[in-house]
Amino acid sequence: MSRVVTWRALVAFGALAALPALPLTSKYYLLLAFDALLFGAIAMSLDLLIGYTGLVSFGHAAFYGLGAYATAILLERGVLSVWACLAGAFVVVSLYAAIVSYFATARRGIYFALLTLVFAEVVYTFFRYTQTFGGSDGIQGLPDAVLWRGVPIDTPERKYYLVLVYLAVAYAVCRVVVTSHFGRVLVAIRENEDRARFLGYSVQRYKMAACMISALLTGLAGAIYPIRSAFATPDLMLWTESGEFIISVMIGGLGTLVGPILGGVFFTLLRDKVSSVVDWYFIVIGVVLVLIVLFMPKGLLGLRRLVGSRPWRQAA
Amino acid sequence: MAAGGVILEVDGISKSFGALAALHRVGFAVSQGQVFSVIGPNGAGKSTLFNVVSGLYAPTSGRVSFAGRDIAGLPPERISRLGIAKTFQLTNVFPTISVGENIRVAAQSRAPDAGRLRSLWRVPDVEARVTELLDAFGLVAKRDEPAANLAHGEQRYLEICLALATEPRLLLLDEPTAGMTPGETKDATALIRKIALQRGLTVLLIEHDMSVVMGISDRVAVLHFGEKIAEGTPEAIRNDPQVIEAYLGGAEDGGTGSVTCSG
Repeated sequence: MSRVVTWRALVAFGALAALPALPLTSKYYLLLAFDALLFGAIAMSLDLLIGYTGLVSFGHAAFYGLGAYATAILLERGVLSVWACLAGAFVVVSLYAAIVSYFATARRGIYFALLTLVFAEVVYTFFRYTQTFGGSDGIQGLPDAVLWRGVPIDTPERKYYLVLVYLAVAYAVCRVVVTSHFGRVLVAIRENEDRARFLGYSVQRYKMAACMISALLTGLAGAIYPIRSAFATPDLMLWTESGEFIISVMIGGLGTLVGPILGGVFFTLLRDKVSSVVDWYFIVIGVVLVLIVLFMPKGLLGLRRLVGSRPWRQAA
Repeated sequence: MAAGGVILEVDGISKSFGALAALHRVGFAVSQGQVFSVIGPNGAGKSTLFNVVSGLYAPTSGRVSFAGRDIAGLPPERISRLGIAKTFQLTNVFPTISVGENIRVAAQSRAPDAGRLRSLWRVPDVEARVTELLDAFGLVAKRDEPAANLAHGEQRYLEICLALATEPRLLLLDEPTAGMTPGETKDATALIRKIALQRGLTVLLIEHDMSVVMGISDRVAVLHFGEKIAEGTPEAIRNDPQVIEAYLGGAEDGGTGSVTCSG
């Protein structure tokens, strides 16, 4: 139908919107679905960098965590509007991301991964070891946010719909970006950075812009998290969190947007299921991930080849 | 377009890498619409010269002016936007995306949206240019193939397509027929000549294959050990004793009155 609104996307989001109506869906599962979709949205944002631009960020947890703290600080001070929280996260994350993306893209190769990691560790250390924002406990016991007057986001259903709408908007933004003039240049940079320069593209500016967009979408996802959890802690910014985002992109399928959403959902559900059975859940997850990487190099989305063409699928 | 004013002037260019002087006070002028070739044995400094003109290296001394503007030391992307395009000796395309997408991303670099905020959501229509180039180089049937799947000769053509898609005024071709069979070389040479004429392009060509150079050049300069040792029409160069010396390494048989055309 268009480059963003396809039948496939409509069916998928329609099905997700119907989820709370299913008789089996308990509060617990709705909140798990919230976490899964939020993780998917973050992995999708990171895919702009890893899958399309060829830049691996090891510091996305900082964007996520800063967004979460922006909301937490505002809620704690009685600013309950979701829109104010999103705006606050937007400003904070933009400022931080502008600095990180400028320095991280100034040099080529491994420096991007290293610098994003180092910057994120600095941010983590600040929140963890100073008492300014609660130290290692973070900010706890936050009140419910309100969408507008008289509509608090207090039930699991409302929280779920909040993240679903966010995912839909973020997906639309990502889809528009990757199919635009700009998105094609990102792919060209991933494929052959030097040649892109000789075609007249200022490669660093494109990389910075891609990094900013990815960081902002991740930060806004972070801003939504405390609305569900009622807390923000420094652990949200730990480098292992960044690693889990990368893993979700990998298992979903690089450079596909939809794949990383699936990857994030899969990762969240797997973690939940395995960790409720055994403590050493990460070993189990690790084995599953190794198998996926070895036998499904295109990630979960690669499975669609096995399924074959479906009648409602749009011709590519 | 007949040879008009000077479009590219290289003036006393030197480039050293540490103690090694790759270029020593090289100068020449290329007129609008000319095919100007730079030849020389391996290691003569031809590629270094190209890298200085295209912005990969800043010269140690000397000036490069393009359309009256000093461009020495500008980065490659600025020089590209001023209207100089370069092809690479080793094929340098975007391997995993399709041939059509390769040309598209090159062509849209000249769209009015390029480098502006609205490029984030707009999709420039460059279809006409893409089709035209695919057609000119016989790549229409390969449009949806990943570039990495092309045969060597076709990849060389795609390389030229990428450069032409940026609508250059000056085209730098670095051994465009490298690795081609003699038959392909002949076709490619004729095609380059035709396209340069059609578009009124100025071409600066590096070659070591003399048959290519002699067939299409208006003017030829010869580099040897980083210095220009001769410049003139192809005929004059063919018979220049210094050039023969450089190419044949002082062969004394005297049987060849001119440089032979190697295949």
